[in-house]
Order: sequence, then C-alpha cells, then structure tokens
Amino acid sequence: MTESRLERPCGQGPSKNSAITPLGAGTQTFFGNPLRRADCVVNLGSLSRITEYVPADLTIHVEAGITLEELEHTLLQNNQFLPLDPWSGPAATLGGIAAANAQGPFRAVGTIRDWIIGMKVVEIDGRISKAGGRVVKNVTGYDLHKLYTGSLGTLAIIVEISLKLRAKFVRTATAIARFEDFESAAAGIAAIRHSAVQPVSCEWIGPENEVWLRFGEDPRAVDWQLRNLPAAEWKICEGPDEISAWELLRHRYNAFGPVVVRAIGLPTAMREIIQEYRPGAWIAHALNGILLMQIASAEDIGRIRQKYRAIIEKAPLEVRREIPTFGLSGAEYDVMKRMKDAFDPEGRLNPGRHVDGER
Amino acid sequence: MNKEVIGKLRRILPSAAVVEDETELLVYECDGLPLFKNRPDLVVFPRTTEQVAQVVRLANEYRIPFLPRGAGTGLSGGALAVEGGIVIELQRMNRILSIDIENRIAVVQPGVVNLHISQAAAPYGLYYAPDPSSQMSCSIGGNVAENSGGPHCLKYGMTTNHILAIEMVTARGEIIRLGNPAGEPIGLDLVGVIVGSEGTFGIVTEITVRLLPKPQAVKTLLAAFHSVEECSQTVSDVIAAGIVPSALEFVDAKTIEAVEASVYKAGYPLDAVAALLIEVDGFREGLEETSNAIVEICRRNRAYDVRVAKDDEERAKLWLGRKGAFGAMGRLAPDMITMDAVIPRTRLPEVLVAIDRMSERYGLGVANVFHAGDGNLHPLILFDSRYQDQVEKIFGMSEEIMKLCVDVGGSLSGEHGIGYEKKDFMDLVFTEADLNTMMRVKQVFNPDGLLNPAKIFPSRRGCTEIGKHTTTSTAEIGKKVEAILLGSPQKVQH
Repeated sequence: MTESRLERPCGQGPSKNSAITPLGAGTQTFFGNPLRRADCVVNLGSLSRITEYVPADLTIHVEAGITLEELEHTLLQNNQFLPLDPWSGPAATLGGIAAANAQGPFRAVGTIRDWIIGMKVVEIDGRISKAGGRVVKNVTGYDLHKLYTGSLGTLAIIVEISLKLRAKFVRTATAIARFEDFESAAAGIAAIRHSAVQPVSCEWIGPENEVWLRFGEDPRAVDWQLRNLPAAEWKICEGPDEISAWELLRHRYNAFGPVVVRAIGLPTAMREIIQEYRPGAWIAHALNGILLMQIASAEDIGRIRQKYRAIIEKAPLEVRREIPTFGLSGAEYDVMKRMKDAFDPEGRLNPGRHVDGER
Repeated sequence: MNKEVIGKLRRILPSAAVVEDETELLVYECDGLPLFKNRPDLVVFPRTTEQVAQVVRLANEYRIPFLPRGAGTGLSGGALAVEGGIVIELQRMNRILSIDIENRIAVVQPGVVNLHISQAAAPYGLYYAPDPSSQMSCSIGGNVAENSGGPHCLKYGMTTNHILAIEMVTARGEIIRLGNPAGEPIGLDLVGVIVGSEGTFGIVTEITVRLLPKPQAVKTLLAAFHSVEECSQTVSDVIAAGIVPSALEFVDAKTIEAVEASVYKAGYPLDAVAALLIEVDGFREGLEETSNAIVEICRRNRAYDVRVAKDDEERAKLWLGRKGAFGAMGRLAPDMITMDAVIPRTRLPEVLVAIDRMSERYGLGVANVFHAGDGNLHPLILFDSRYQDQVEKIFGMSEEIMKLCVDVGGSLSGEHGIGYEKKDFMDLVFTEADLNTMMRVKQVFNPDGLLNPAKIFPSRRGCTEIGKHTTTSTAEIGKKVEAILLGSPQKVQH
C-alpha cells in the first residue's frame, strides 16, 4: 500500500459517496460513538515503513501502520524510546494510537500529542496535506496534528507521523504498596502529592487500595526517590519483574467492563469522585486528574456528567447508541462540528464515530 | 475612524480606555519587529472578557478589522495592524486569578507577564516552565498566541505543553471555554490547535497553566571552544549520551564581543570562537555526576575553558549574558533582525558555515546566539536602516537563510511565529494543499477574516503590502530591554 493508492478510495472511492473507515491494528474499534456506515475499510497495516530515523536528532518519521512494538524495537537499538504505554498494548499502530489519543499509565512526560511533531494526512477529497514538520521545535503554520490526534479518523486519514523521542531512562523502578483501606490509600496519594518525589506514573488502583509509582531517569535520582517515599510497605520491582508487573496491570484494566468511563477532574478531586460514584473497580492517574472507572450501569454516566467531564472508554454497543462518548455540548460542540464539516462536509469519514455522533 | 464607532466604544469602555490620538497610536504601529509598521485606527484597553466580547461584536457590526496585542514583544509582526482597525490591548487584564498549589495550576489573565507567574508561584516551590528571553516583559496571552519557547523548552516543552484550559472570545464575539484543568482533550483538541495560532483564531481572555515543582538543584556551565565544529559536536555528543539538559545554548564570538562590552557582561571568554551555556536540573542526587559527564564531553571536544557556576549569583551572571544578548547587539550595529529558523541539530556545523559565507557575500554582519539543543537558530543580521541598500540586502539574506534551513529538513520558525514577517516564505515548507487545509481551519474560527488579517498565509493572494522601513533602532530596543533588566520598566501609560 502506498499513500497515492489511498488517494483513490478517498478521491473517487468505490462509489462517490462511500463511507470510509481507516483501520490500523483494530485495537481501539470499541472506542467512540457507533459507526453509522462503513462501505470501505482502508487498512493501513501495510503502510508501516520507517521513512527516516536520525538517532542523533532524536526524531523518527514513520508511516501510520507501524506498531508501537516495532517502533520501540528499532528505537531500543539506539537506547531511545517513546515513553508511552497505551492500554491497547504494543500491537497498536502509531496511527491508531494517535487517532484514538490512546493512553496508559506512563504519562508524566505527556501523552502522544506531546511527542508528535508533524503529520501527513489524506483528506476526503483524496489530496495529501501535512502539518508541523520534521524538527523537534517548530511553530510554522497551525498545529493541525493536534486536531487530528484524537479525532478518531473523522477529519482525515493519518498516513505519516513525525515524532520526537527521548533517551531511554538509564534506570526505572516501580514501587507498589497495598494500603489497608480506601482512606489510607487516599492519604497515601495525598502524601505523594506533598512529597518531593516525581513519579512518571502514579496509579491509584481500587478496590484493592494499591498505589503504583514508577520512577525513571538518573539511577541516583531514582534511588533517592525510592528512599524518600511516604511511609508505607513498598515493594520495589525492577528489571523483568517491573515489566511484567505493568503488563499485568494492563490486563487487569482490559478486564474492566462492560461499562468503563474516564472521568476528568482535579487531582485532589479523585477521592471524592470515587466515593460519590462507587465504581466497582478503578485506576486513577492520580497526579493527572484522570480516573478510569468500571461503573455498575449506564445510568451512572449521566450522573457523573452532571458534575464532571467524562468520556466513555468502553461500553456495549446498545449503551453507546444511547449515550454519546464525549458528552459534548454548547459552543464547544458547535466549533467541533463546524470543524468536522470543514474537513468532511458529506460525513464520509468514519460517519458518526466522533463529534458527528454526539447528537 | 467612524465617530459613531468611537461613541459606541466609549459606552463599552471608560473614555480613557479608547485611544484615538495619532501620537499615542504611534506606540502601536509595530511590535518587537520594527521593520514593518502600520498605525492602527484605534487602541482599546479592556479590563474584562465581556468588554473584549463587546468590542469584537462592534467591530463585526461595522466590518472593522481587529487584533489582540499583549506586551508587543513579538518578533514576527504578529501584533501588526496590517489593515489598520482596532488593536485590543490586553495588558490591563493582568491579574493572576488563582494559584492552586495542591493541583499545581494557575489561572491567569492574558496580560500577566510571563515571569510574574513564576514569581507568584515561587513561595510554594512551583514555577511556570516556558521562559522566552523576553519573559520579564512578554505577556502570557502573547505566549499562548505564539506558542512561545525559550531556552528551557529543550527539556520542558513549549507553551503548548503547559496550557490546560482557556477562555476565548471568538472572532464573532462569543465567549467560549475550552479544555479542563487536567489538560485532557475531550472531543477534538481545540486548545492544542488554538495555542500557536498567532491570534488568528480568537482572543484568549483567561488561561489555566500547569505549574511545575522547582527542581531541587541546578548546574550551569559555560564551555569555550576554538572552533564551531567542536562546539557543535559537543551538542550532538551531549544529546547522544542520553543527557537531557534543561538548556543548551550556543553563543558565537560576535555575540560575546557585544555582550562583554555591554551591561550584560557575563565574563564570557573574549577569545572564544563559540561557547556553550549548558544547564542541567532535577534531583540533587546524580546531578553532580551528570554535570561532570558534560564537562568530560566538552573537554573531549577540546573545549579550552570550562566553568561550572559555583553559586546562584554566578549562574545568574552567565544567564544575563545570554538573555541580554539581543539587547547588547546595539553596540555592533544600529539595527538588526532576528531569524528563528529550526534545523535538525545534526546539521548545525554545515548550516553555520553557510550562514558565515552568506554574511561575507552580503557584507552584513551576523551574530549567532541560539538554542542549540533543539536546533533553533537565531542568526541576528546586523545592518543600518539609514542605508536602503542594506535594508534590501537583509530581505535577500533572510530569505536565503530560510531556504537553506528548509533544504536541510528544517522549518521557518521555532518559537517566534510566522506573523507578518515570514508569511511569504510559507511556500517554502508547505504546499498549496497544506495551506488550503490550514486556511479551512482558520475559517472555522475566523469566518469573516476580520480578526488579525493578512498574517501567516502568503500575500500572493492579493493582500496589502506594507513595508515602511524601520526608524526604531536596535540601540533603542536595547535601551528598553536594559531598563527592564535593571528594574525600571518603561511602561506605556494611558
């Protein structure tokens, strides 16, 4: 598959009005509002080359279909990495991670949006356009790659991504503690917020009352932070143990369901949100104000949205048909809808999946 | 300007907050780039978001172009009133509305000076990371418009990585709130695309910024070299060693000459061909070792003088030279323009050599002082605006520099923005299709084109050309910056 072959389904398509669904590894297909139509699936899996990698510049330019696993494998050879660990796992493609703004616990350094420096897309009329560039710092033109990131392939089809990278942490370590009850775990999280440590992941996991902290950078700084953790019975994982621990957490999260929401609030509000909505299970990115909750029923989504912003992470199709994924309204919705119309006036790209499926 | 409009504006704002006097308006005929000037018809000084919205609605009613302006320190003509109209000056919206220590965020108005956020957060051990060289005077609203950088964005990222939420008056005068304190996009990342849109998408009237805990320790060092190649190689080697410096700044001989003769005298070695100002910060543990590793890399690349600042005072002095470099240039020539191109950092040596050759060919001096760590060049082209031939030459030379940087895989601007200055060079990096897509996005936000017209997009499509040449000299700008640095800011009083 080449970019120019992509111009055809978009430009003329099998038929002029066919709805087009871009697809990567298919790890995020459950996310978003239900598709209204899909006449033609554009599989980007074979658009997976690394077009340029200059380790000394800390940049890489890849086609959208490359998987995170392949990318990290290449980067590792130069002791570099992209510090992301989306819940969808290493089989996800970079295009898919960007389109879904897929995230995981590793986020103190930012999410995918903070690593993308440029993008090339194919638009619905078949033309290819780009935004950003190939250098790590750039304010030339509008940052349209920010707009494409998280748009679930509804504005344009992402075909190439330029990323900045960073040197692999010399050392990482994870500290895990299991607290006696909810209140002591909450107090543990507050103590971390008040301490001098700066974990790159800080997860508050319930109902098990676990707190997971990952540290990474200079080995001496990691050691110092491990020595200066707030009082608790911390178990330290390193090396292969650490990798498998996080892998296990990913599986635990992926077993959440059937209804999971991502509530967004101030870091200090996490405790209150959990208490108020009593999720069956949760993982909070506690220092970021992001709370993934497995909730008992779809009605809870409405209750949560009365006070907080919340995105449906996962829900059965019948729930997603009834309740919009993002809960957009008012002027914010209007601008986003106008944006969708400006890119795809006939609503052919992933119809209904993003803003156009919110009402 | 229509008397009816002025009358209506005076009903929205106090009389003194609507300025129509031609002499007073002169202050607003340009921003930090005095090469292009055009006097606006009016300047208004709102204090509230509602006032901004009312002014915008009025401008829409009478089809008058309008644009926001902060401290006017921008270097790309972003605050230039190309088609006249109303300048909405936001400096009076300068309150820090709240600082939430627990959640490490601050909510501020757009006229707040960048550095004042860090100063207000300092008692709580927090700070606002992006630090443009103009941080003592530039406003956060301007930073949001330009997606400003600064030396420390090498480690901490640009403005865009630190803006969580905004309140904005749209081009038609509606007030909208976007983003949230977690900085988590819900739906489309509109905040992400508004930051850096150079005041062409809306007028941001309130900003929620992320604050960071101040690093436990900082190490700053200066390394002097006898050749540009050795200096550039050091930059590459530091990055290759996996070190993430918080800043990695390049200063050349001409800059050192100017700085050392000025009030910013920092003790830079006068015989150096090039020098690096390198800073690392973070946890105290391990920082000494990192700093030693950098010293070792410098020595391996034949740095002949490496100094590690012993205390905060020495550190501040090393930085004074770097941050005051632009102001000090007045000693070398009456005028200068600052380029802002970015290149892949591995291409530094060849690009610097090529710029040097251009400087000889054009007969114009060039000083190089820039963010080497991320390849963000700032060639300062020195000239004398009293000679028309020199003015013409700088246009030719700046175009050639931009072409060169684009040819090696770089870009037009790393942190100053395209504005009015570089819009005609957008074709060098973007195709017609790229620009059309950007134009379509602009039309979603700014459908009538009244907000900040004639910016960013090439003017071949029939925009107004202005080009009244500079009368404000570098020396004057230098004096202003000096006054600010020495603690007696020259404020425009109204």
